[in-house]
Amino acid sequence: MSVIVIAVASESGVPIFTRKRGCGDNVQFSTVASLHGINMFSKCHNLSIIDTQVDNGTILWKEYCKSVTLIGMATGGLECDLELLLSCVHDVMIFYIGKKELESMKNIEQIKRDIRQCYPILDYLLESLDPNIGINIHPTIALDVIQSILCPQAQQLQQVLDNYAENVTGRWACLTIHGNLVATSSDFHELDPREARLLLLLAASQDGAPLRDTPVYLPHMSPNATFRAVTCKLLADVFILVICGATPALTEIDEIVLRCWEGHAQAIKEAKLTYPRNFPMSISFETCILGILVVNISKRRCVYSRHLIVSSQKTRSMSGSHRTDILRTFYVTAARYLVSELKVVDGANKDLWADNVNETYWNSEYHKCHAQRSGNILCCVLYTATIPVHTMRFITSRIIQDLNTSKEVFW
Amino acid sequence: MNNYKFNYDTPCHSDNDWSDSSGGSKYSDSESSVPEWDSDVGDDGELFFIKTKSIICDNEYTTPLLENCETFKLRNNFKRSSIRRSTKGRIFRALRVNKKKNTNTDITKKNSTEKTKSGMQHSEEDNNLFVIIMVSRNMIFTSEKNCPIEKLFGLSLETHPDGRSLIISDFLIESRALYTPKVEKGYYLHKINDIEVNSGNINIVLDRVKEDHNNLKLTFKIPAEEFHINKERLLTSKNGIEHSLTMFLKESMCSILYICSNDTEYNSIDDKGVLYCYPRPFSQNFLYNTRGIYITLNHLAPKALGTSAPVTSTVLYKNVLLNVSYTIHYGNLLLIAFPNKQVDLFATNKICASIVRILELLHGSINNCFTKPNNVDKLDKLFSLIFVTLLVKDDTGFKCDGAVTYFEDLLAAHAVTLPLEVRVQVDDAITELEAADYREWIDDVEKFQRIYTVIGCCLYYTGHILSSHLQNEDLKEVNAYLRITGILGLSVTKELEKLVIWKEVFIYEHRNRMKNDGNDYRIPDGRWFLLVVGRGHFILATLMEAGGCTEEAIGVTPPSPFYVEECESCLDLLYEVGLDKYLATWFSSNTMPQVETAPENLSKAGRKVKDANSMKSDTILRTSTLRLPKFNSDMKKRHSSSEQINMGSSSATENVNPFGSHHSLYNQWYGTQKQYRHSSLDISYSEDSNSLKSNSEVSDDRVQGRRADRERNRLDSSGSDSDWERQDGSKASSSFDVTDIRKSLLSEIDHITTHRITAGDDNVLFHFIQLESTTGVLIAPVKNIESQANNVLYSHIIKTFRSACQRIHDLLQHSIRFKINQAPSNPLNKILIAVKEFGILFQVPQNLNQSTKRSSEPMQFWAVGRVFSEPEPRELYVCYHESIPQDLTEIAYLLSYLE
Repeated sequence: MSVIVIAVASESGVPIFTRKRGCGDNVQFSTVASLHGINMFSKCHNLSIIDTQVDNGTILWKEYCKSVTLIGMATGGLECDLELLLSCVHDVMIFYIGKKELESMKNIEQIKRDIRQCYPILDYLLESLDPNIGINIHPTIALDVIQSILCPQAQQLQQVLDNYAENVTGRWACLTIHGNLVATSSDFHELDPREARLLLLLAASQDGAPLRDTPVYLPHMSPNATFRAVTCKLLADVFILVICGATPALTEIDEIVLRCWEGHAQAIKEAKLTYPRNFPMSISFETCILGILVVNISKRRCVYSRHLIVSSQKTRSMSGSHRTDILRTFYVTAARYLVSELKVVDGANKDLWADNVNETYWNSEYHKCHAQRSGNILCCVLYTATIPVHTMRFITSRIIQDLNTSKEVFW
Repeated sequence: MNNYKFNYDTPCHSDNDWSDSSGGSKYSDSESSVPEWDSDVGDDGELFFIKTKSIICDNEYTTPLLENCETFKLRNNFKRSSIRRSTKGRIFRALRVNKKKNTNTDITKKNSTEKTKSGMQHSEEDNNLFVIIMVSRNMIFTSEKNCPIEKLFGLSLETHPDGRSLIISDFLIESRALYTPKVEKGYYLHKINDIEVNSGNINIVLDRVKEDHNNLKLTFKIPAEEFHINKERLLTSKNGIEHSLTMFLKESMCSILYICSNDTEYNSIDDKGVLYCYPRPFSQNFLYNTRGIYITLNHLAPKALGTSAPVTSTVLYKNVLLNVSYTIHYGNLLLIAFPNKQVDLFATNKICASIVRILELLHGSINNCFTKPNNVDKLDKLFSLIFVTLLVKDDTGFKCDGAVTYFEDLLAAHAVTLPLEVRVQVDDAITELEAADYREWIDDVEKFQRIYTVIGCCLYYTGHILSSHLQNEDLKEVNAYLRITGILGLSVTKELEKLVIWKEVFIYEHRNRMKNDGNDYRIPDGRWFLLVVGRGHFILATLMEAGGCTEEAIGVTPPSPFYVEECESCLDLLYEVGLDKYLATWFSSNTMPQVETAPENLSKAGRKVKDANSMKSDTILRTSTLRLPKFNSDMKKRHSSSEQINMGSSSATENVNPFGSHHSLYNQWYGTQKQYRHSSLDISYSEDSNSLKSNSEVSDDRVQGRRADRERNRLDSSGSDSDWERQDGSKASSSFDVTDIRKSLLSEIDHITTHRITAGDDNVLFHFIQLESTTGVLIAPVKNIESQANNVLYSHIIKTFRSACQRIHDLLQHSIRFKINQAPSNPLNKILIAVKEFGILFQVPQNLNQSTKRSSEPMQFWAVGRVFSEPEPRELYVCYHESIPQDLTEIAYLLSYLE
């Protein structure tokens, strides 16, 4: 399995970058030129090539802002939404160098240099497509939703975040534990979910630095003017992120952080205990459940967990990353039919399928997957192979019910 | 009128006529009478002869089962007479002359025509389809031919291939300024002074117009959406492809291109290795113009990217999404493009695989097919046929806006479950043909070498395969050929009087002979021929071998009348046992297994909702059906029996044209009819059998056809004492036997029981498909189940189910591919290969659910697919109501009992 993303300047054909994850050789310069040439040639004939299917793989061409052409390639039976991946990659590019710069393509060498700083995030994105290839400690399930943790402390932390954001003259702040979103300031939802995701990725890619600020463009809100993204490490694996203006200075922020968060260390520590179960303890799960992915569709947030049962004995069931891979593949290939809102483009069967799919399941020799949508919540569950289909349906709908009624769930 | 009448007589009569005409030309005296298709045999010995019983066109959807209904007859008679009249019109000769003169169309205008056409396609409004031109009465145009149309309007007209419509072929010089901005060549003359005109009435209308002193008002129809294709004509035509058809295909963006990548070999040709391209001219073919893309990708993917060769590309051209498929043959590239709207990516893959199969079957290999000299016309014809079949709905002849081919047809030959007795009958008939026992024709069997060995047959009825004695690969190829060239489609929409196709083919085993040279058994160095014979809704395809133990075929080999008659007599035999009538009833019976075609009758708990009202009407209808057979004529009975099954008996008189309102969900009588159908099924069957019995009694004493002749001969020759002879005689069915079999068939219908394959008290099964990809056969409910159901909700469910099946099928292929090939060259997704079952739960949208107001609960149904890998991969797709959980293994088990 491998995935390759190539960026080429549309007009000049200068390759900007090539990122690759997975097995196989690197793409040669001449290949990049040929792939881009195909796109250029077709444009001359008023024809635009959209994608090409190969055995177990896809090649996709996509031009953005009439200046950058992204070519994505997934092979070896990797199931992913390439189109979504490319648009995420484009977002990352804007995030770092701004839309204006990207559109004008005046100084390609400069852009090439600037864009190097996105590599960690890009690699993170590519790795998240296949939990087996990366050494990523925080496996990502979906590109289009923000991975979160549901904990009862979220409400309390929100007030602190509001206070903190006010103090640093910012609006949007959030707190992450192990790369998962735990709590947000009350205005945080104003950000596009994809911008919020980029912020989280930013924090994840800046490993170790206790306090850092990065100038960023917000691809949807302000693609041409920079903001300052300040990431601050509170405890091990706990970060607070805030987007603010040029002031206050980093040293001042350090003091503000201390002032704001001093009294809430206990709450954060409690919240940290929720990881890796990621669900409040009040929500219990059946023993037949091997993994679960819950998506809040309107907020574009998801909670994934494969550590549901606190058990002492080591079960000889499938490995953790394999479970993640199954649920991820299930989500990408089957469960996303249930969420027509998340589609980047309208498929051929849009009218027939949109909003009319309620449930879907997979039976395999070793496991079963079931997804059910109820209003705003999509719940994908990985079960052991012995559970009958109607029992799966029953259990899944009860989980959704639990999540909807629980007082400890704050999205 | 009388000439045509016999076609619409009761089947018994037409049986007679038919067998009489063919019975005269036996092998022994074949020289005296020439078969009617003889003049159609081509120079290469190939034959394509079609004669249909009725011309059914226009928009009505017709089920073959109802062709004997009286309203139907009237309509057809009317059509025929009007066409017949058209050939006698005074105008006709003038039109023909014009046609010849105007073959050289001016090219400068073509572009603008195309523009308007493509522009018009998007506008749905009727008024945009018509252009009105006022012509002053004072103008008189000079016409060399003294043609009244030219004099009055300054136009030359020609008749459309459909024989009715009038098309502008040219303008006179003086009149050009009057028309050209608005009206183009190729437009239809629709109305004169608001009177609709066609080739039949134009003279009368012109006479009337001449007396009228007001200005003339001409209404022209823009042909963009109106292009009507007569597939039958297309199938049989030997001439080049009509210009209008080429234009149509060019517009539809279907395209095919074959490129030889070995530059040295064909470099002398200007077109850089392009060996074939259709539709032409090259410069207007988008595949030709952009071939660089595909060639580059084809080189790049395996070499530089380390993937397999490209399979398909999706491109956007002139705002139309197109799928381009790649087939690589020894470095040469075959590209086929289809518009995504009609042929989506899934269908493109399947259809292109079928096309490759056909090309290999007909020409030995892809390369042969494109390099064979003088093959271009044949290929043009084949591809235009294929494209038309894919774009044009069979029953209308107009371009379709959605997919024409169903999921079932893309995958395999469509079979239905039949009772054992019927299968025995069918197999018996085919086996007799294959046995090639010609003793009664030739006195000296030992000295006579046969011309062909029949190596296998398959029999279709209305596009459903009844039986196949072909090898799996051969069946797949023959089925692909019959399906994709529209021959099967023709047998569904029209009743064939006679169809004979004769083609040399290169069977799979022959083509792959080199590869398995080590085998003990080897097929002879011979030639193979495909003989397709059709009658009524039956199509019998026979593969014949020349060489080996039979005479070797040398040179041009035209069809042998003897073998054509053998096949015809095989079909005869089926008619004799009444299989045509039986199948018509069976196909509308929906019993094995029964599917629920009225989904709105199922409540949330999967129970049938029955209110008092419908129960009442139930009983009324029941008594009426019981009374019917006693009082009515034989014909009427047959008619009513098929009516009942399709729409209930009382509607026969009330509703003259039930096909007009395709979805009569909102009709008042609808709900009650449906109730009736389900509750009194058995009763209507006993009635059916009565009518069938009476039919067969009439024909009992008439022994018909070659088969009967043979039986008589056999009885006569029973004097011979040979043990062999006697044994054979007792085995083969004598005329006495035939009646026995008929009786057994009838008794079978008498105690017919409906089978269910789903769990639960009430039937919750909406549809199912069981596919065996290795044999190339799938079992599913009859094709016209949707029109039988006549139900918006049901149609929606089926449509959703089919689209879900595509995705499920795609996913399950991972598992099948893994099982077949444990270590594939391209790594498979290791999660997907484990998936055996994939289910999707759908909800019926609210707007369709209006009929069930009593329950506010939305209706939900499952589309589930499962693969069974042992012993051969078999896929089962089931669509059922959500209320009762089903186990697919169990369904597959129950279904296997019905097979």
